[in-house]
Amino acid sequence: MNRGMIYLSVLVVASSIASGCTVFGVKPWQRDVLARPEMQLNRDPIDAAIDDHMYFSKEASSGGRSFAGGGCGCN
Amino acid sequence: MVASCALLSATAARGQTGRAAPGGAGLLEDWSLDSALAYYHEDGRVQAVEPVVDVSKVFADGEALSVNFTFDALSGASPNGALTSRIAQTFASPSGKSLTAGRHIYTIAPGQLPADPNYSDGRVAVGANWSVPLTRVTQASLGGKLSYEDDFYSATVNASIAHDFNDKNTTLSFGISNEFDALSPIGGAPVPGSNYASFEKTGGKTKDGVGALLGVTQVMTRRWLTEFNLSLDRFKGYENDPYKITSVIDSAGNTTGYVYESRPDQRTRKSAFWDNRVGWDTLSVAGSARYMSDDWGVRSDTAQLHLRWSLAERYIEPTVRWYRQTAADFYKPWITSTAAPVSGYESSDSRLGAFHALTYGVKYAEKLSPYRFLPSSEFNLRVEYYQQTFSERLAMPQALQGLDLYPGLKAILVQAGWRF
Repeated sequence: MNRGMIYLSVLVVASSIASGCTVFGVKPWQRDVLARPEMQLNRDPIDAAIDDHMYFSKEASSGGRSFAGGGCGCN
Repeated sequence: MVASCALLSATAARGQTGRAAPGGAGLLEDWSLDSALAYYHEDGRVQAVEPVVDVSKVFADGEALSVNFTFDALSGASPNGALTSRIAQTFASPSGKSLTAGRHIYTIAPGQLPADPNYSDGRVAVGANWSVPLTRVTQASLGGKLSYEDDFYSATVNASIAHDFNDKNTTLSFGISNEFDALSPIGGAPVPGSNYASFEKTGGKTKDGVGALLGVTQVMTRRWLTEFNLSLDRFKGYENDPYKITSVIDSAGNTTGYVYESRPDQRTRKSAFWDNRVGWDTLSVAGSARYMSDDWGVRSDTAQLHLRWSLAERYIEPTVRWYRQTAADFYKPWITSTAAPVSGYESSDSRLGAFHALTYGVKYAEKLSPYRFLPSSEFNLRVEYYQQTFSERLAMPQALQGLDLYPGLKAILVQAGWRF
């Protein structure tokens, strides 16, 4: 899954940039669904922060969504 | 929890990803508040209470300022890293200076996981983030965070910039961060690898790190938004957990002593993160995947899925998260007295072992009507269950057979939140 996921992700992103909006993307009047609160990438920042704190203190990984590191002495 | 600050900072700089401003009126029209009270409980170990408050204001020129406060109160029994044994074991709390006398002594019964029963800690953290539009399609963000505990102090700054392309269908963002940590362990910082019984300890230690994050956000279709991040960070300094020890056993498996853990003094991590939002009429899906590796030998995979059903004034959201990691190269549940530690480094910290973990959760939220000067708001309740299971077990010497040397971890999180 590891490398496959990364290659797929890179492919999707690279193709979206290269396409210059000819394949992906919407017009301004087509953003009704994207404008909904549940479609925002940081829709629940406190939930994410509390989860990140819990996982940071119990696992060897952190970051990805944002910077790694911890800011607490729990790991 | 610089992650929370960094998360708010990094995401605030992405032009099309900001949280939609909720409806409001009067005095609080340009303000938003997000708050939660979380209770975390591990089966037979640590428990924590954590209130969090985030206050944000959007100004007329598009600038935005957010300030967040976090408090932590932890208590319970924290595993010290030693092996479970068939005989009683005596340890000293970090402030102790003897294993034979004093009020800092604690004894673990045969068959029980060694854990300091007097563990308690508190943390106060404050963070701030300021974002400003530089042009119609470029936004910059600056953030910082201070965190204080009795034995740990941390300061973090970060800066990000985001630029929109393709009619704001594509956003490229780049951010950097710098973290400085100062450790003043209770009783002093033990000399890495030293004999536990000799109490060789020194004064405070420091650690600092730098990180960079490159991200792209792309509107794929009217119903699909995707984001991909690459990040790199490097920390240097005192990387040990000053309270963790490793059991030393003889060839039969009998414990003959303990040594303090010894980790490398630098660590470099790389990660790739992919996040998606897909929405239909009443159902929206948030799905993410992450791959991380570091130069300690840890590789991890994470996948997470949220399904949110929105029904008029409320929504319900089941969640599942799957995680697995390989062990650090120097992870050693125990050391045999005849063997030298690998590369001179060793740690029995279970967080550096090979395990997989599952999280199941559900969140329920309900919209509340405006009341006096308050705009409409949301109350939410969240419950999560987390379980770790070790996936690699070494062959055990005779005296250790039948003991649960890999107990794993079970924990529950209950969180109530309110925001407008």
